[in-house]
Amino acid sequence: MLRYILRRIMQFIPVFFGVTLLLFLITTILPGDPVALRAGEKKLPPAVYAEMRHAYGLDKPWYAQYVDYLGKLSKGDLGTSIASGRKVVDIFKETYPYTLRLALAAIVLEILVGIGAGLVSAIKQYTIWDTLVTLSTSILVALPVFWLGIVLQYIFGIQLNILPISGASSARFTAFAHLILPAITLASVSTAYAARIMRSQLLEVQSQDYVRTAYAKGLSPSRVLWGHEMKNALIPVVTFIGLDLGAMLSGAILTETIFNWPGVGFTIYRAIGARDFPVVFGGVTLVLLAVLFVNLLVDVSYAFLDPRIRYGAANEG
Amino acid sequence: MAGELLKLDDLKMYFHTRDGVVKAVDGVSYTLNPGETLGVVGESGSGKSVTALTMMRLVPMPPGKIEGGEVLFKGESLLTMKEEQVRDIRGNRIAMIFQDPMTSLNPVYRIGHQIAEPLMVHKGMSKAQAHERAVELLEMVGIPNAADRAGDYPHQFSGGMRQRAMIAMALSCDPDVLIADEPTTALDVTIQAQILELMQALQKRTGTAIIMITHDLGVVADMANNILVMYAGRPVEFGTTDQVFYQPRHPYTWGLMDSLPTQNLTEKSALHPIKGQPPSLLHVPTGCSFHPRCPYAKDVCGTMDPPLVDLGGGHLSACLFSGDPGFERRVVEYAEVPE
Amino acid sequence: MTRDKDIVIDRAEGHAVKDYRSGMPSTPPTQPEEQHAADENRTLWGDAWYRLRKNRLAIIALVWLVIVAIAAITADAWVPQTFGSPTYFDTAKVAAQRLQSPSLEHPMGTDDIGRDVFARVVYGSRISLTVGILAVVVSLVIGLILGSLSAFYGGFIDAFIMRVADIFLAFPYILFAILLLSVLPENLRGIAPVFLTIGILGWPSIARVFRSSVLSVKENDYVEAGRALGAGDIRLMLRHILPNAVAPIVVYGTMSVGGAILTEAALSFLGLGLPPGSPSWGGMIQDGRNYLTSNPGVVIWPGLAILSTVLAFTLLGDGIRDALDVKLKD
Repeated sequence: MLRYILRRIMQFIPVFFGVTLLLFLITTILPGDPVALRAGEKKLPPAVYAEMRHAYGLDKPWYAQYVDYLGKLSKGDLGTSIASGRKVVDIFKETYPYTLRLALAAIVLEILVGIGAGLVSAIKQYTIWDTLVTLSTSILVALPVFWLGIVLQYIFGIQLNILPISGASSARFTAFAHLILPAITLASVSTAYAARIMRSQLLEVQSQDYVRTAYAKGLSPSRVLWGHEMKNALIPVVTFIGLDLGAMLSGAILTETIFNWPGVGFTIYRAIGARDFPVVFGGVTLVLLAVLFVNLLVDVSYAFLDPRIRYGAANEG
Repeated sequence: MAGELLKLDDLKMYFHTRDGVVKAVDGVSYTLNPGETLGVVGESGSGKSVTALTMMRLVPMPPGKIEGGEVLFKGESLLTMKEEQVRDIRGNRIAMIFQDPMTSLNPVYRIGHQIAEPLMVHKGMSKAQAHERAVELLEMVGIPNAADRAGDYPHQFSGGMRQRAMIAMALSCDPDVLIADEPTTALDVTIQAQILELMQALQKRTGTAIIMITHDLGVVADMANNILVMYAGRPVEFGTTDQVFYQPRHPYTWGLMDSLPTQNLTEKSALHPIKGQPPSLLHVPTGCSFHPRCPYAKDVCGTMDPPLVDLGGGHLSACLFSGDPGFERRVVEYAEVPE
Repeated sequence: MTRDKDIVIDRAEGHAVKDYRSGMPSTPPTQPEEQHAADENRTLWGDAWYRLRKNRLAIIALVWLVIVAIAAITADAWVPQTFGSPTYFDTAKVAAQRLQSPSLEHPMGTDDIGRDVFARVVYGSRISLTVGILAVVVSLVIGLILGSLSAFYGGFIDAFIMRVADIFLAFPYILFAILLLSVLPENLRGIAPVFLTIGILGWPSIARVFRSSVLSVKENDYVEAGRALGAGDIRLMLRHILPNAVAPIVVYGTMSVGGAILTEAALSFLGLGLPPGSPSWGGMIQDGRNYLTSNPGVVIWPGLAILSTVLAFTLLGDGIRDALDVKLKD
């Protein structure tokens, strides 16, 4: 298992450098001259300009600038907001807990509803329940998340007027009530995928020889299902949900925007509108690193889920 | 008869698929007495495995459906019994082992647990007792360091060891009948012999009756008391091992024998595998289902269904010509199936 | 993995039905493949079309997509005349014409500056189909080139390309697009940067799918034979490998168009896609958000347009996959 984990970490290293290099190129090189950007409309005297370029390290070759960039990253220095003058790191320190809260709520929904629906669908294959799950997951996957959010707001917030549609707290509603619609919106697509994976995995596992062996041993159908089948079928589902948690830390930008949820995504969205580039880049950088890290964790934890990897026989993959 | 352990009487099980009706088991009868070994022989697709799965009620229904016949275990019908009662018999009184020990063991459970499971379910043993017994069983089937290896996962075992573990699992509850479905096919030749020896040795100790399902006549030659040859879901020849080996009467059995490697290969008795494929059970040929591949076939074989006829001494054969004195095995090339 | 011999595929429903017949051959023995590759392909696509026609959902999806495409192509000839311009509005008449409920004149009502919602939804299909299809074309071009290089040459090139693909896949799709598009100067905005961005982000999956199918074809005898006869790499690739690896690509490509349309909608919704005022479905939803109570149609219809089009591409993709009997990993 150690070898598997080491290999995953070794694979992570080039990905990490590749991602940060791309980030560096997009955020430092593409937007043009940050000194000119800083200066705004004013024309700077050449001497001041050169000095500022030096101060920013822009007179160095690109790879030296990249090293500087990595150095700053490691110290948590993501620059300062143009709009508010606050440190970008501080802004996201405030907003990340909200994103995390929303992501966890969505994951809980995804686990309960996704796995549940997939299970029902597979066990009741060819019945109306299966058709219902298959149909609704197809629709959910094709649904624009932001549209679903707006429609939910319209129905529950405006027409029925029973749930809050904006922000994370208010005098009228509990914090939990504020979480409901955003969590459903954020969880929708992933829940559909989780249900589909659960269904297809369970159906595949049901046709395996070892399930026949389990029945031939005289085990009851429920024992076969919850023991022999689920233990195998859940491995890919858990992996998917883990990766999804990583994606939710970033994918929440649409959901947070619709519900004015004061998380990372909403902050990035507002910064785009305000052309506050340090906040956009800093936010995206943070989110990407979080996603990369979660992906690595999922890869490693996969080893704990599957004995074939834990005990080092699986050389492929 | 009082001695009968397991009796199949004209068992029929068809699959109803979108493409048509598949007569997977089409009138199979045999009797198994305690401690006996029955060899069930035929090519893949001959219905030999499905017959076993049908009597264990392990065929999914639908698409499968019992169309007739009876299966009696110690005089009780397995087909009409309640599901809970059959479950008490499966793995307990009648146990099975399968062809591919890699895929037949659950990859995410430890070997010891998988062997202990039937003991907990059928014998009401505690986890600790069952595990202890599982280790003994692993020792019995010749796994060294059984106490340690019980904690291994299937992928940590070699193919032969996995099949030994399967045998240990099947024998855990001391069953009356062991159904072995191609137990050696997926194994190396040297391991095959070891596994067969092990099964014979264990049978002597426990007195378990064995149904040995195989495509290889050679496998059952030393072991079986009786042999049933199947083709396209039907029995084509049945008899004692001596009868089937020394006086085979069905051309299909002759074909199977010709495809066996013999010790003294002369030019005349060189290896002649039966040419062509067994028929798709969706489109079984009319008349004798073997006639398109049969080098002895005459016109009548394509139209007349050959009944299973007793040739004397319980030796049955389903060929129109089996009873003819002049009908003898020749050294022949078996014909290609016409497309 | 499922073992073919124990599985009967019920093609019309795409479900694998397990039966315990030990290896009952359900198909006649295959003949040695000596026919010309072109013959094989003709029967492959002919069979696939036959099976696709029997898949009702896929046919409904196909019909819907054809209707949407015809509407998009012919829009100039009938939409503005009948329902009004999708973009132009008369400042003087805004107050009188805005946010009308559905009527004969405006079947989906009007938006907040008095434009006909139906006209905008029809023109939106132009943007969505164009972006969706062109984005997939971009992904295909990059993905096919890199995927085939990777599969054909192996070794270092393979490792490098696949690592770069990992890097792209590690990026959350939408964030990457946001980064790229947010640095774009205002005057460069339009359809091109959107489909280019989405297309560039989509190549790794295509490269992976194509690489694995090339690898599986590459070992076949006829490729070896072609090589022995001295065919060059490019000729081998074009004549022998590409035609055989094309099925998974068709399936994946069809499904990807739906994904690209969704991404375009999301980007436009965030204000990063098409310029403001363009009749893009995502942009319409953003613009209409605040006027839901007056005319819910301004949000509902573009949303349904996205949903139905994306769903149609997915269902058609599913249908083609089942018809071609392609196995894609989830």
